[in-house]
Amino acid sequence: MKSLFSIIKSDYLQRTRSYDFLVTLCVTLAIAYTFVPEPNANYSTIRIGNYIGNYNSAWFGYVTAIMTSIFLSLVGFYLINSSIKTDIETKVGQIVAATSISNFKYLFSKVLSNFLVLVTIVSVVFAMSIVLFFLYNDGANFELLQFIKPYLLITIPAMFCIAVLAVIFEMFIGKYSVLQNVVFFFLFLSLMVFSPKNENQFSLDIFGSKIVMHHLEKTVKEITNSDKKQNLTIGYTVGGVEKSKEFEFNGINFSTSFILSRFLWILLGILCIGIISPLFHRFNTKERLSIKKHKVQIEAPSVLKEIQVLNLPIAKKNYSLFPLLKTELLLLFRKGKKWLWILNIIGMVLLAFLPLKTAHQIVLPVLWFLQISRLSDLVIKEMINKVHYFAFSSYKPIRRLLFSQVLSGIILLLLLALPLLIRFVITFQLLEVLSIILGSVFIVLLATSLGILSKRKKLFEVLFFMIAYANINRIAFLDYFGGFSPELLYVLKLSSLIVFLILSVFLTRNYQLKSN
Amino acid sequence: MKLEIQNISKRYSKNKYGLKDFSLTIEKGILGLLGPNGAGKSTLLKMIATVSKPSNGLLILNKNNIVKDTNYMRKQLGFLPQDFGVYPNLNAYEFLEYMAAMKGIGGSNLKPRITQLLEGLNLIDVAKKPIGTYSGGMKQRVGIAQALLNNPKIIIFDEPTVGLDPEERVRFRNLISDLANDCIVILSSHIVSDIDSIADQVAILKNGSLITNGNPEEIIQQVQNKVFEIVITKEELSSFKNTQIVVSITRKQGKFNVRFISESPMKNTIQQQANLEDAYLYLTKIN
Repeated sequence: MKSLFSIIKSDYLQRTRSYDFLVTLCVTLAIAYTFVPEPNANYSTIRIGNYIGNYNSAWFGYVTAIMTSIFLSLVGFYLINSSIKTDIETKVGQIVAATSISNFKYLFSKVLSNFLVLVTIVSVVFAMSIVLFFLYNDGANFELLQFIKPYLLITIPAMFCIAVLAVIFEMFIGKYSVLQNVVFFFLFLSLMVFSPKNENQFSLDIFGSKIVMHHLEKTVKEITNSDKKQNLTIGYTVGGVEKSKEFEFNGINFSTSFILSRFLWILLGILCIGIISPLFHRFNTKERLSIKKHKVQIEAPSVLKEIQVLNLPIAKKNYSLFPLLKTELLLLFRKGKKWLWILNIIGMVLLAFLPLKTAHQIVLPVLWFLQISRLSDLVIKEMINKVHYFAFSSYKPIRRLLFSQVLSGIILLLLLALPLLIRFVITFQLLEVLSIILGSVFIVLLATSLGILSKRKKLFEVLFFMIAYANINRIAFLDYFGGFSPELLYVLKLSSLIVFLILSVFLTRNYQLKSN
Repeated sequence: MKLEIQNISKRYSKNKYGLKDFSLTIEKGILGLLGPNGAGKSTLLKMIATVSKPSNGLLILNKNNIVKDTNYMRKQLGFLPQDFGVYPNLNAYEFLEYMAAMKGIGGSNLKPRITQLLEGLNLIDVAKKPIGTYSGGMKQRVGIAQALLNNPKIIIFDEPTVGLDPEERVRFRNLISDLANDCIVILSSHIVSDIDSIADQVAILKNGSLITNGNPEEIIQQVQNKVFEIVITKEELSSFKNTQIVVSITRKQGKFNVRFISESPMKNTIQQQANLEDAYLYLTKIN
């Protein structure tokens, strides 16, 4: 038991002491700040028809708890789904494999450290919800239990299930990060779509949010004396706030079966880990890989020729960007599994033949999202591959190398969007063309700035994932490619954002180079 | 060609220095840097290579301050870091072309230069295969090739012989000797024998400070007449190690032949010819 605790502790400390965890916490804090809108804000996060709850303890507690449960279930998975991969990359795994630790103990320790990482983030949101209550409430009493109860019975068990899922996914499809992301994305969507038919079925809801939504709807129905199904919206809805009415929500008395179901979900998670643990590869991955791919380490033949350095032809100065751009594009195209290019080609075909609106609003953001692993390390791959000493001591590293990296990312995205661009050009929809070009620049610059800032891939991956999720759910606020609102104002807004990103990229990389 | 290192320091926190008030002048030839782990060798090399900035002090190359004008150094630099990587999806040709583009060189001579470097470094037969499939020694040779791409005038090799087999090490030493006729070569290593046979100048570092600097003969002179050998038993060995600076121990018919450094001879000891390794161990122990 003591050894398990030590493993969890060191794993947890290793992950939370990183710079990107700090950035993640700051971003979470900023997002949590928006969970309950400021009283005069022009958006809502949870609305039942025309109704929004009074700003009392229960509303703050339950709204932030279910928003966290949903938001962190989606985003949290991407934060924690590389704990085993890290052990492979750092080669700690090989040391672990040579110890007496059992597969179950190792995997369970990973689940618990994943869980602790998520709980740390939940704690920050929890504290923020109390701060928001004191900032926005209008004379309502502070009731701590209304905050604790939903977090304990909804958010925390959901986080445990996500921690388990992350380990299961890593174990079976850890090598295929894009597949991992896509499969989880669809699993998440299907879990969100699940709609319980009666009280007992609320126990089956892994996120625990459905029971709260049901009670909110029920309360509003009672007020309005209507049998009509209320239109409940979760997520950021801009506008219409001034028309909404308020209702009193006083929390939920959870049934014993629901409370019990939360513990059963946790037990089921542990059981799943127990069942799959005999199948764990125990870091014998390279051997399997080499057998599969015949990718054997080669040795150069030992016919030795003496090198005459002083007689070598001397290369001339050439500051052209083309060779850099060529290799950057080559690196982008060769990255990832080859079969993923089949998906890209299918996406391009869909862009060419589906109705313009569907192609622009659905296919394009999904197709660009599939490039997530290419974009996330666009400017940090030199750090990941330890080529940064060469890159940072190269001739004019910002003006030449960084510029060609950004340019290659934009070229890739525009190349994928080419069928759609051609169609818009043919139909003279030039604002749409401009929107797509700006969208590609924006997303590449976002990847660049977040990569330089956090020195990791994760932050951009998580944010891009959220943006893609919002795009599929047609949330216009995060439409960066002009799919929903290609107006001149939109173009101006996006352009100013791009200017801001260019400045931040230049300044942060410059600082990074100077502060080494 | 003259590189002046003037009172440079690298401070990480209030009382933690990677390098402290370090000064040295380097002219054409080979400078060997020796020092235990954490002595500040890599820190110094990274600052000279303009990858890292000194907290204080100046680095002057041919009267140009390279702390400010980094590109002056970068145009004529060849740098092989200690812990470098490669892009596994590129082959050696592509990787070297990429490195050349980073350094701002090209033209019609680039391809033959890359080919000849790959030939000379015994990589030509595998040049079209992804570097991800190379062994450690082959990756190290790709690193050496990239350092020589731009006909550099200053070449920095940080632990260059790691991963090379004995034959390759000999070839590498010959290569460095050739290069030194025309430029400044700075070479750091843990392996004293890699340095003593080729270095024109040796600098020994410890805890971020320069202990000594000079040509190998001058440094060896500091332990001349202080190196001895003695044959002792296993029982005597542990107390002997605690009282003397032991350079090496070899087993000999159940007893131990111990090479050590002492100010004066002891009973049953035989005086030995001093070498750079003796001097290095002596100087890093007493300082």
